[in-house]
Amino acid sequence: MNIGTRKILDRSFTAVGIGSIVVMAVALMIVVVPIITNGIGAVFFTGTVEHRKMLFSEFKRGDSENLSSEVASSERYRAKVYGMLTGFEAELETMAPEKKAEYKTKYSEVRTALQALLGPLPGDQEPMLTRFKYGQTRWEKAEEKLHDLLYESKWDNSNPEVMAKEYFVSRAIGFEGTSLVKLFPYVKDNLDKMLLPEFTVYWGFITDSSVDSHFFGGIWPEIQGTFFLAIGAMLFAFPLGVVAAVYFTEYAKPGFLNSMLRSANSTLAGVPSIVFGMFGLAFFINTLKVSESKSVIAGALTLAIMILPTIIRAAEEAILAVPKTYREASLSLGSTKWNTIATVILPAALPGILTGGVISLGRAAGETAPIIFTAAVSVGSAIGLADVLSSPTPALSWNIYNLASEHEAAAQIRHVQYGMVLALVSIVLMLNLSAIVLRARISKKLKG
Amino acid sequence: MAGESGGECNRTNVFVVSARKRTMQKLAKKTGESLLFAVASFVAVIVLFIFYFVARDAVPFFQIRGFSEFFTSSNWYPADDPAQFGALAIIYGSLMVTLGSALIAVPMGVAAAICLSDILPFSIRQYAKPVIEMLAAIPSVAFGFFALVVLAPLLQNNGGPMLMWAWWILVSPFMLLAVIVLSDLLTTKITEPKRREQLHIFFLIFFGLLSVLFLFKVGTVLYGIQILTGTNALTVSIILSFMALPTIVSVSEDSLQAVGRDIREGSYALGATRAETIIKTVLPAGSSGILAAVILGIMRALGETMVVWMASGNSSQIPEPWFNYLQSIRTLTATIAGDMGEADQVTGSARFHVLFAMGLLLLVISFVSNLVSERIVVRQRKILSGQ
Repeated sequence: MNIGTRKILDRSFTAVGIGSIVVMAVALMIVVVPIITNGIGAVFFTGTVEHRKMLFSEFKRGDSENLSSEVASSERYRAKVYGMLTGFEAELETMAPEKKAEYKTKYSEVRTALQALLGPLPGDQEPMLTRFKYGQTRWEKAEEKLHDLLYESKWDNSNPEVMAKEYFVSRAIGFEGTSLVKLFPYVKDNLDKMLLPEFTVYWGFITDSSVDSHFFGGIWPEIQGTFFLAIGAMLFAFPLGVVAAVYFTEYAKPGFLNSMLRSANSTLAGVPSIVFGMFGLAFFINTLKVSESKSVIAGALTLAIMILPTIIRAAEEAILAVPKTYREASLSLGSTKWNTIATVILPAALPGILTGGVISLGRAAGETAPIIFTAAVSVGSAIGLADVLSSPTPALSWNIYNLASEHEAAAQIRHVQYGMVLALVSIVLMLNLSAIVLRARISKKLKG
Repeated sequence: MAGESGGECNRTNVFVVSARKRTMQKLAKKTGESLLFAVASFVAVIVLFIFYFVARDAVPFFQIRGFSEFFTSSNWYPADDPAQFGALAIIYGSLMVTLGSALIAVPMGVAAAICLSDILPFSIRQYAKPVIEMLAAIPSVAFGFFALVVLAPLLQNNGGPMLMWAWWILVSPFMLLAVIVLSDLLTTKITEPKRREQLHIFFLIFFGLLSVLFLFKVGTVLYGIQILTGTNALTVSIILSFMALPTIVSVSEDSLQAVGRDIREGSYALGATRAETIIKTVLPAGSSGILAAVILGIMRALGETMVVWMASGNSSQIPEPWFNYLQSIRTLTATIAGDMGEADQVTGSARFHVLFAMGLLLLVISFVSNLVSERIVVRQRKILSGQ
């Protein structure tokens, strides 16, 4: 091979390596950026008067005078819509029977679309579910619903070779020649006056509990549940892990028993997370009966087992990184081995141990599979500290899955899901970032 | 005599206060150490417990239904009457996404590890490492959510064009490289410089055109592909590969760092370029560690639950044809997670125990591969330290 080709090969080899790191960074961005941009939308968004109505009646928040004047002004514009509806209903009665039946189905579709947009119409029964008590609380959703009102969605199946295509037909055409045809341009032009959109900052998303399975309200029960589980797991795993690490680094003598224990540690680190969940169900709940069924304590114990190997490894590394001179100085002053460990080595290794602890805390907060069978419920309110022994809790990780895959209206509450993912990711990444910063400071300190 | 010995006794008593206190001290030390040992062996006890309790609930399934159905049939109807528990398609689905993610993650991960250990200067490495750590830190459910809500619809709506662009972007640089190397190799034997130059250019153009044609043909085929469902094995494989990457990168980087400087310097001294040094000396020396990294990374993909549960489509079928990554599949972990909620009500039935049988399968696979990778790392360390 000539030297030029070898050079090109060398360069391209470098390029492949750098390229794969760049791809990883880009992948990280691709995953994180939509989560952040959409997740922020859960707190900062353009809220409508329906949102303020909902806040006032569900959470007793907001200025009642201001709200009633807003409602009055929006009702003024809505009244015309309601008038058109009653006018058309009267017109329906005068039509020929077959024509009447045709228009009736079309009209009921329009009514449903209007209910979704503006909330219950006059003459409707008081809805059972809270989600039907209010119109669209978010402006971008309201615009989607406006589109549903103006256009009928149809599927084009004419070509069997390709997938069916969706296309839209204006509803106004269907009502040509009746009094209702005026409704569509009116709603389109006056929607902002009927819903009064205004920029809203809803911090309650973090501190409120949810209303009607996350249609309205916030995610506090999930955040709290995540904290309970993660901190509970740390309470069990951290002391155990540090003590085990002290044993491995200071007392263990090389031999069969020691290598067995180490193998056990790495085996535990490699067990799939779902198997931890099964073990938690079979052992903590079905055998030990720490609680009747799922509970925070069972979940925390399961998570503790899962993060134990990580903590042990991190603590071991931190203890081994303490310079030998510290130990020798302490021993030469006449202190015992245990004294040396407790007063010299552990304090010196503490930042490193904490780094491992913080990373494990993040892992415990983010993990889903171990808590599916042991601690998580999909709907629930925030539990008190006394209930951790007996009751299950909603948790961010589980509820993200639940809302995205099992919720009956998953597509309608995307902003809640994104908000939850952002909350979880920012908790975990914040913990990890602080660990990275902590470690950088330690390595600086050790260098002197 | 007596006075002397008494004096001696007194002198030692200055240091050791009393025999009783000494035994107490010894006792305290012994109990302390055994307490520490007890805590350290707690991990081993847990591992035994996990095996025992998963196996305890898995064995009844094989007692009731035997082995052959579970491993050979792909009819998975646990809720029907009579129920069928053929897990072949599920096991196949697990293997499929694991293999798919390994195909993406292993080359990328090894390349990134080489880059981190041998190519990048320290100042840039400092920024690259946190990226990998952040990738490792993102919770699996967030990846699953991304796969389900962002990636799957994207693939479903623009599958063909996306596949084509991925093909062009990923393959064309390697094609270009192959053309250059091939035309060089074919002309090295020719001694006359002018003729060689002409032939070289001819080959470059010839192979270049050929490869462009090939790229274009495959590209148009890919462009025409319609992805019927975005929640398929490909989506899951892509996401899982990014979850396995941090493990592969960090473990293989450790193993590459363990290869000493002397080997590298020897190779440079013989006139090898950096790429040749790495491929011909560093990689073979660190290969066993890289193998261990690959095993650990694959295990991460095999044991992952949330991503596959959310984005694999969860249909228990062997794709048609068997290598079709664009169809929905179902994996062991997702089946355990998804079915336990219903099977939990009927504790003691085959439907409950079959899930533990799947768990046991996962557990055994992870245990064996962990042992293997650990052995490999220990052996490599021994060889490199020259023992």
